[in-house]
Amino acid sequence: MAEATLARRTPGRRRPALAGFAFSSPWIIGLVVFMAGPILVSLYYSFTEFNLFQSPRWVGLDNYATLVKDPKFLGSVFNTAYLAVIGVPLGLAFALLVALALNFPVRGQPLYRAIVYLPAIVPVVTASYLWRWVFNAQYGYLNQVIGRIGLPQPNWLADPVWTKPAVLLITWWGIGATAVIYLAALKQVPQQLYEAAAVDGANGWQRFWYVTWPALTPVTLFQLVMGVIAALQIFAPTYLLTQSRGNAANGGPGDSLLTYTMHLFHNAFVFLKMGQAAAMAWILFLVIGLLTSLILLTSRRWVHYGSE
Amino acid sequence: MSGPGHLSRRRFVGMGIAAAGLGGLAACSKGSSSSGGKVTLRFSYLWTGQEAKALEKVIGKFNKSQSKITVKGVSNPDAQAQLAAMTGSKGAFDISDNFGSATGAWAEKGVIKSLDDYIKKDSFDLGDFTDSSMAQCRYKDQVYQLPIAVNNSALFYNKKLFAEAGVQKPPTTTSEWAEAIGKLTRTDSKGRLTQLGLAGASGAGADYRLLGVTHGGRWYDKGKPTPENPGNIAGANFYVDSVIKKYGIKEIERFVSGFGDYQSPQNPFYQGKLAMVVDGEWQPSFIKNFAPDLEWGVVPVPYPDDKPELAKTNLVAPGTFFIPSNSQHPDEAWEFMKYLVSKEAMLSFTKALSNLPARTSLLKDPAYTSIENFDLFLDLLASKNATSIPSEPSLAQYTADLATADDKITRLTKTPAQAYADVAKAAKSYG
Repeated sequence: MAEATLARRTPGRRRPALAGFAFSSPWIIGLVVFMAGPILVSLYYSFTEFNLFQSPRWVGLDNYATLVKDPKFLGSVFNTAYLAVIGVPLGLAFALLVALALNFPVRGQPLYRAIVYLPAIVPVVTASYLWRWVFNAQYGYLNQVIGRIGLPQPNWLADPVWTKPAVLLITWWGIGATAVIYLAALKQVPQQLYEAAAVDGANGWQRFWYVTWPALTPVTLFQLVMGVIAALQIFAPTYLLTQSRGNAANGGPGDSLLTYTMHLFHNAFVFLKMGQAAAMAWILFLVIGLLTSLILLTSRRWVHYGSE
Repeated sequence: MSGPGHLSRRRFVGMGIAAAGLGGLAACSKGSSSSGGKVTLRFSYLWTGQEAKALEKVIGKFNKSQSKITVKGVSNPDAQAQLAAMTGSKGAFDISDNFGSATGAWAEKGVIKSLDDYIKKDSFDLGDFTDSSMAQCRYKDQVYQLPIAVNNSALFYNKKLFAEAGVQKPPTTTSEWAEAIGKLTRTDSKGRLTQLGLAGASGAGADYRLLGVTHGGRWYDKGKPTPENPGNIAGANFYVDSVIKKYGIKEIERFVSGFGDYQSPQNPFYQGKLAMVVDGEWQPSFIKNFAPDLEWGVVPVPYPDDKPELAKTNLVAPGTFFIPSNSQHPDEAWEFMKYLVSKEAMLSFTKALSNLPARTSLLKDPAYTSIENFDLFLDLLASKNATSIPSEPSLAQYTADLATADDKITRLTKTPAQAYADVAKAAKSYG
């Protein structure tokens, strides 16, 4: 009502724009005060020695220089890169396979879709705790199963070689959301293209490679970017799998699960080195920005938009 | 890979600031908290469950005795929230608890109040508190915390398994200990472990801090980390040589991964999977709850054969009270703290938890005789070889680096000497 009145009295665009800003001001103010402000403050902190309690002391680039020499920092970069480089592409491929399977017109299809999506709605804390049991080397469900088919039964959560694959298994278990997006994209592939391909005598693989995959590339780009960002910030599963008593810093066996954000968290809240933690946050921010731009740049070579 | 499971950088930074801000806001609203002439003291503690109940009993008694102060206890076991509340200009609580290990880091940053003025004004007698507990409450010659309950550890052994293996008596020296470990470790026909002579209660490693000290080591000297002290290395070597190398880390880890929950009847020591374990003074009451039929004994951690003067060495960790610098009622908080660490309150609280009291005069109190074998822990605490790791500001980071080193030692990827040399290198940048 108020908007309509406004619009009638003042033809032109300025008033509605102002009204728009007025309506969105709670969000804008929130963004500036609770997001932009703290983000800028954290940039300042990254150049200081700050322990939460005393005034920050300017130290220039010291925090950044210290990180380069910190073996735990380098270890955490490796661990995170491992999870991102192996986890994201395989996760996407896996989700795509699942989506293709779910796209087959079989009986009980809605049920299968529900089953695949179900893990995505299990809270990550609950899931991680359940997986702690599943991974138990002696009485865990996973080793029971793979032992029966004659595979070696690794000590998932105690052996540094197997802890990261364990985390990947947890994240892949929750790919339901990714698979559903792929499924939606699959529904959008124009049927006449398949018909045309069939007329040209294309086999199943050719139909996938020349028709389905190009149509899926925009969605893949989106999921790749989101996946990389999420993987670089992975925290909850690793934190919960390594959790120990009290407020102690724990990176799992051999620090094999000390991810980037976990090391950041330890610096901030266990060692009370907020400046160091802020520096880590900004490095992560820049790396994510850089990687995202790189992916977007290369996307011109492999992403096809239907309208082009 | 999305959703709330991942710590968004923005949200993360925002959260910290918001938490700090909320702490301040909460303080504003509760700041002027005197009603009817009485000051309401906000007491936030980390204890929960049964322990919180024991503490509430103490609070209740104090409130009854008071005409000026009412204490309101809140169980808030979130150490992060505790920190956040202490960052604002007005705190969310007036008194709280932590461990002696926090003293140095907090005192140096001015987060907690020095109690020296109060102690002087009231001529408060510190003489009755055990030296090892007070050591962790001091930083640079000032007292910042006062201890109530104390933890230390000793060697528990399973009498039935000892009899089966023909081990006549629990070990007192490290050579006897190594021998007993060998006799008490068993494997099945396939060479798989079915019983271990010694291991950590929840993992393949051991309490390397304590083993270092019982071998004459020190973790700090004059405020500087000394991980490479020969005693520390000897302590770790003892465990590596007499357990890890003998049975193989892969096999031990497989065996250990089948251990049940620590605080349950499935605890490996109660189950007879572990013949010996180094554990704390709370175990007598745990065993009574979870494994009442277990035949067990407890002795001091053995000392090296050539160093009998190190007999009864033990590491002490006190649970402590402090007043944050941003407390609104520090004077009243001090009054309450005096009560908390008084003999009466300390006795009622520690007995309920089966923790050790921090006062020397309570070490012989008959109230503790109902707890089985508790006298050994009381005796260890009274020993001149009761010691604690000094609460230096770098302790949290040092502990984290030592844990990383311990892991490498247990896994045999580095020798104790190499692993602790790495820590020494890292320790140079603690500042």
